[in-house]
Amino acid sequence: MTAHEWYLAGMMLALFAGILSGVPVMLAIAGVPLLAALVGSLFGAFDLGFLNFFPARVFGVMSNPLLIAVPLFVLMGVLLEKSRLAENMLDVLGRMLGGSSRGMALSVLAFSAIIAASTGIVGATVVMLVLISLPSMLEAGVPKRLAAGTICASGTLGQIIPPSILLVLLGDQIGNTYLEAQQRAGNFAPDPVSIGDLFAGALLPGLVLVGLYGIYLFLRLRPSRRLPGAHRPPAAIRTGEVLASFLPPLLLILSVLGSILMGVATTTEAAGLGAVGALMLAGYRSGAAGALRGLVLLAVMAAFALMLLRLVSDAQNESTAMHLLATFLAALMVLGVAAAAYRLWQANLIQSAIGDTIRISGMVFGIVVAASMLALVFRGFGGEELVAEIMEAIPGGEWGALAAVMAVVFLLGFILEAVEIIYIVVPLLGPPLLGGDISPVWFGVMLAMNLQTSFLTPPFGFALFYFRSTAPRDITTIDIYLGVAPFVVLQLIGLALLIAFPALATWLPGLVFGN
Amino acid sequence: MRAGFLAICKGLDRVVSVLCGAACVVLAASVLAIVILRFGFDTGNIKLQNLAEYAFAVLMILSLPYCLSRGGHVRVEVLSDTLPQGYGRIADWIALVIFLIPVFGLMVYAWWPDLIYSWSILEGAVETGGLAGLFLVKTMLPLSALAMILSGLAVLLDPKAPRR
Repeated sequence: MTAHEWYLAGMMLALFAGILSGVPVMLAIAGVPLLAALVGSLFGAFDLGFLNFFPARVFGVMSNPLLIAVPLFVLMGVLLEKSRLAENMLDVLGRMLGGSSRGMALSVLAFSAIIAASTGIVGATVVMLVLISLPSMLEAGVPKRLAAGTICASGTLGQIIPPSILLVLLGDQIGNTYLEAQQRAGNFAPDPVSIGDLFAGALLPGLVLVGLYGIYLFLRLRPSRRLPGAHRPPAAIRTGEVLASFLPPLLLILSVLGSILMGVATTTEAAGLGAVGALMLAGYRSGAAGALRGLVLLAVMAAFALMLLRLVSDAQNESTAMHLLATFLAALMVLGVAAAAYRLWQANLIQSAIGDTIRISGMVFGIVVAASMLALVFRGFGGEELVAEIMEAIPGGEWGALAAVMAVVFLLGFILEAVEIIYIVVPLLGPPLLGGDISPVWFGVMLAMNLQTSFLTPPFGFALFYFRSTAPRDITTIDIYLGVAPFVVLQLIGLALLIAFPALATWLPGLVFGN
Repeated sequence: MRAGFLAICKGLDRVVSVLCGAACVVLAASVLAIVILRFGFDTGNIKLQNLAEYAFAVLMILSLPYCLSRGGHVRVEVLSDTLPQGYGRIADWIALVIFLIPVFGLMVYAWWPDLIYSWSILEGAVETGGLAGLFLVKTMLPLSALAMILSGLAVLLDPKAPRR
């Protein structure tokens, strides 16, 4: 090994020690490489000039327009969480299904898919599901192991079902790395990869996973199975109630996703719409007076009308009547948003939602900033060439290298969260792979699904820790492990399907964006 | 002495929180305005676009110290949970001295020449007709680094601060 390789190996080992030491991960990811660089420069192995680029790199993160969507999606998720929408949905579902265990488990799955799509943060989703759906599932007679497995697995769905923050970050990293790698390989006009591509690509694989979970739950549980003591809730339930609890969040997610996929809005604009929509939803639901509710409702309708206007205005734009209508709708919308915001301000909800949004954004961006230091020092030690050499030495060509990267990601998933892995693995290990013929969208979706599987796998999966920290003690850790095992198998089936049929990930983006 | 230092840190944290919260509101509002302009009137405004970008930049960089002083940054506690009580504090002190202070010290030190230049020309947005005041956004970077170092110290000195 050369001196540089020794430094790199030492740095990676120290990095893992640093991460496992229990100090904030971002400090280890930024601090260890800096120390390694300082030590290296003492012995003439590192040019300290590299370090001068660090603040400029950080400013690059600050001025990266793709990342603007992240805090907006976080705000949307936090507001939806604070509006206690999930509790309401589950309550309605539970009554609608008359307490059968199969119906209960399936409805938890269905609504977690919706909730997961809107929040996209594993820890928060799992904790929320344990609090609100575990008691109802156990009461409906779902065995505790199966209930534990269902919650852990559904909680991780938010990683892969768009709109997800993880896919935004993945889109940013893969987009950059793919462009650089292709240009280095001599292709100077590669089709750029957008966040929209990844959203479209992850949609079908995400739904396939939901389908697999659903089939499994359907086969495992009988419709009539019920604990002897469980009381039968009143069957009477109005259609209006069902619509009132399910339609708003579904509409919100569909319009956010739809506006991206139809090319009407950029990811940032859609995220902004999502945040504003969630604000209006929370304002409407916070038990305000009649007039205020009406105003918010009108504003929501104005927003949809404005979207419609956008769709038709391409054909016949710039008429005065159109402008007047748009002005009226915009005014209505602003008024409704202001009313909802005022209501939430009074209830002290918006302040805490903003606080949570900043804290969660800080968590994400702390890693992003730290990883830029790691990537800088890694390059300074010549790590890129080393990775390329190692990848070439792996038997099996492109597929062997792909399998190796996937294995590394799976193992890293045990100790690191998705953001860290994306910002470490994609720029460091991605270039040799993305310089070839592998579809970047397929690679990204595989990576996301692989990470999600890793978070679910005993004994170190993140979702399991979150479940453990909130679940009652009579569900033992062994119960959780055994309960989640079948879902890990389902995940592997899903991954196998994705490998066998790459079109699952590449068909929709091709259809929607036509490349 | 310690109380005075903590008061200064608290004041800085207050400034960071207010700036961050304002940036979050401005970001959401300006993106909403951009959407309304584009959907309803088929136009855009470069200054508005810049405003959203500036707000994001401020929110992003200042969210780091906000998160740190609330014990929000991710930790991996698989191993450290099994170690004796005092370990966490010692590890945090070491991390402060060998990781946090050098990294964010470097962030201030290496950024300084750029910042001085930016102030000397009162730098604005790159685009023609863009929003002025980019030099103020750039100033947030060392401010955030300073707040990181101070709140890293404050969290360890303050007996009441949350560790997680």
